Amino acid sequence: MSYSEVFEEIVNNLKNINTKLDRVIAKMEQKDDHVSKKTQIMADYLDVMTLLSLPDHLRTTATTLFEIGPATADEIANMTHKERAVESNYLNQLVRMEHVTKYREGRKVYFSINESLRKK
Amino acid sequence: MTLTLAIHSSKGGTGKTSIAINLAVAFASAGKDTCLIDMDLRGPSLCSMFEPKVHFWINDFLSGRCNIKDTLKDIGKDMNTKGHLCLSFANPEIAEIRNLASKDRSWQAGALKTLMNGKKELIRSDMDIIIFDTSPGVEYESINAVAASDMVIIVHNDTNACYSCTEQLIKGIYNPLDKKCAIIDNMKHGNCLNNIERSRYGVPILATIPCMCEVATRSNNEILIHTEPEHLFSKSIITIKEEIERLY
Repeated sequence: MSYSEVFEEIVNNLKNINTKLDRVIAKMEQKDDHVSKKTQIMADYLDVMTLLSLPDHLRTTATTLFEIGPATADEIANMTHKERAVESNYLNQLVRMEHVTKYREGRKVYFSINESLRKK
Repeated sequence: MTLTLAIHSSKGGTGKTSIAINLAVAFASAGKDTCLIDMDLRGPSLCSMFEPKVHFWINDFLSGRCNIKDTLKDIGKDMNTKGHLCLSFANPEIAEIRNLASKDRSWQAGALKTLMNGKKELIRSDMDIIIFDTSPGVEYESINAVAASDMVIIVHNDTNACYSCTEQLIKGIYNPLDKKCAIIDNMKHGNCLNNIERSRYGVPILATIPCMCEVATRSNNEILIHTEPEHLFSKSIITIKEEIERLY
């Protein structure tokens, strides 16, 4: 097998891998959509008494999110002077607790305090 | 830079509303654009001092029926203050208070978010000072106002009940919410002249105001800082205003 044949096979394999990865990503996004719709239905609300009962680190993150509105982990980390990865972890904990919603806009992931179902 | 104050206390009848109104007039007279919001939704009092000629109450805003600016009434010209003095009234009708008492956790969560957004809107319109007059103790509306504020002014009177509850509020509400706070000793009996207590529970004491029946009776239909700036109560309000500005 010549070098060019080996090279061509590598390129073909890479293309195959790319196609497979695209399929996996598409499936995952579908799953994410499904989860987020489910989360929206089950969404809890973050009232001030619940906020007070959160552990200190999560309360600081949630309070900052209240103050600056929908924000990325980076924006929250700038306010709390913690590492982005740390805030990302806290924000995702709040998402799992259903107090915060996560959504994507382009390449950025935003977090927002859950909208409650208002009874006027 | 906008400063948002919540005037709060552990017990009722400590003089929150008198201090909130006089403080708002003091800030507006000094040229600050000031907004005084009655967050004592279960026992509104601002409407008994001023005539609430507005289409919307603060209750309407918290329920998402209007914008916060729709609830404001500017009395700066009537009061002859250098800055704007905007008031937002709570609806005093008993049906509305009953309705409010039945609101659930979900409504209160929405009200907190709405209040935060209202504060941001007032900041965008260059308001210098926002004052929330709150209901005493741990009520949803007052703690929402505390959460939306930068600093809590605790109005304290000379009773044992007030002492023990204030400490709990500081440790259980203001500190966990990361709020700066300060105490006003109001209606103090005994020696106020040589009072050297500068802080309590780790919180600064801004002023000690002696108990004066005259303040209670005259405050029914006048704003002392406006009608008698040389009164001891009015002078204490100016001290409080200056201390707040220094601390913030």
